[in-house]
Amino acid sequence: MKKKTDASIDTKKDPWYKNAKTQKKLFLFLALLPGFGGYLVFVLYPNILSVWYSLLSWDGLSKPIFVGLHNYKILFTDQFVWRAMKHNLIIMLVVPPLTVLISVVLAYLITNKHYKENKIHEVMYFIPNVLSSVVVALMWRFIYDGDYGLLNGFLRLFGVNAQTYWLGEESTALAAVMVPMIWASVGFYIIIYMNAMKSIPASLYESAILDGASSMTQLFKITLPLIWGVVRVTLLLMMVGSLKGFDTILVLTGGGPAGATDVIGLYMYNTAFGKTATSQFHQYGYASAIGMFLFVILVTCKGLMDKFLPNEDIQF
Amino acid sequence: MKKNTFMDVVWRILMFLWGLSILFPLVWIFYESLKTNREFFQSAWSLPAVPQWKNYKTAWNNLNISRAMLNTVYYVGASGIIGLFITTICAYALTRLEWKGKKLVYETIMISLFLPGINALVPQYVLAKKLHLVNSLTGLITLNVLAVSAFDILLLGGFMQTIPNELEESAYIDGASIFQVYWKVVMPLAKPGIMTVGIFKFLGLYNDFLPPLIYLSDPKKYTIGVNMYQANQLMQYKADWVSLCAGVVLAMIPTLVVYLIFQKQIVEGATLGSVKG
Repeated sequence: MKKKTDASIDTKKDPWYKNAKTQKKLFLFLALLPGFGGYLVFVLYPNILSVWYSLLSWDGLSKPIFVGLHNYKILFTDQFVWRAMKHNLIIMLVVPPLTVLISVVLAYLITNKHYKENKIHEVMYFIPNVLSSVVVALMWRFIYDGDYGLLNGFLRLFGVNAQTYWLGEESTALAAVMVPMIWASVGFYIIIYMNAMKSIPASLYESAILDGASSMTQLFKITLPLIWGVVRVTLLLMMVGSLKGFDTILVLTGGGPAGATDVIGLYMYNTAFGKTATSQFHQYGYASAIGMFLFVILVTCKGLMDKFLPNEDIQF
Repeated sequence: MKKNTFMDVVWRILMFLWGLSILFPLVWIFYESLKTNREFFQSAWSLPAVPQWKNYKTAWNNLNISRAMLNTVYYVGASGIIGLFITTICAYALTRLEWKGKKLVYETIMISLFLPGINALVPQYVLAKKLHLVNSLTGLITLNVLAVSAFDILLLGGFMQTIPNELEESAYIDGASIFQVYWKVVMPLAKPGIMTVGIFKFLGLYNDFLPPLIYLSDPKKYTIGVNMYQANQLMQYKADWVSLCAGVVLAMIPTLVVYLIFQKQIVEGATLGSVKG
């Protein structure tokens, strides 16, 4: 209250800009203009605009032509879209579950076992998460190389005369791009699950240990049910998120060989900005239609899963 | 503690193997980077006979890493500092001040948490082109700092909420203006939060790949990620793989160093921004 009287006294002798109310308005204006203004212009507006763009036929240079739903019609019959979506589906069903599985087990071991090397492991496991996708992908390109690669070198140690170009053959390329994806994300989820596991009271394990339950029994009967809420959310977000990611694949294979690792995000990127392979010119309209197609899938998935999956954390 | 059982041995080996799968490729790429190209092609295992430190010089000069690093310093530094400033003041206005329309603005920013973003790539690019922000590092920085992230607002807002009201109030009573209060009271108190967001901004910006790739067409302006991508493309013709290895090592040093220094903050902060189960 005192503050207000002070301010009203001030207004009488001070110029307008010293008035506390005016200053607050000015402050708010300056605080919000760049951040919120920029957000409206560079985030929200393009999102709205993308609906309009998806109805155009436009190469970015000549005049855009309104074509209605034509891009969507093409999209549904474009075999490249469905090939890419098939790869996305495979990645979605392989990478997130394996990442969760590895992360949960490792997080459990770090949290509940007291091996002396755990601290070092904890630090080490997160390293891939601070490396850029380009660095990770380039490193794995070296690992996968047919002649001088680490993987083939490893196989040769066991007497296998491996000559496989893991990223260069259609049969192995998709599997090969998924490994670095798992490798690069496990560390982050270990930390999330460790945090969740730390909140489980030790007393819950004690009685199980007395009953002679093994580590795996404890993990599956006590730990996992208790952190199921976190596991479910992370798994879902990772699955949904995997639909739009493509930077690792772009560097690893560029979608090749012969489209064997093409994913929908990469296909969209190449349609819009690609300088090589499929199209030399940019199809902004069609790319936006693919973007909208993804938008609908991603938002629907999130909504549906939130709505229909049971919300109880403990089901035992 | 009990003695190690058979299963304990299995677990420890598993944990060790995962650690090895991370560390060994890094070590391997490092010693590959010290080989000659001849040695490089001979065997994946052999150590370099004489460490070829000159590969690093070649990478630094011929793969344009020196230039890319300079661009990266500018991009990361300017985007980081200005972005942090804009985000912090925005977070303050949205969490600590009362004003009409606050809820609307807050909710509007939070919408972006549900937007996948990929559909906006093309319109964003076209818009930036119209505003002459493409093919320019400064343009990229402008786009980066202006599009405030809902995530950062949430994080910083959380920190702001922990600052006790009394401190601000007593500053007002002492006759400080809102600008002074923000600058002299709020900012210093929010430092740990700003620091955490700053570290993540650094990692994110340094590792940024797609925006520079899409927005920068002149190789002279490439940041480190795009530069390495480009260098790898060119290697198909040059086949100087040892230099590329050296380049990859150089490219990973900054984030590795930051991680080792701020390991605690990074690991703690990683979960702050993550989902709440």
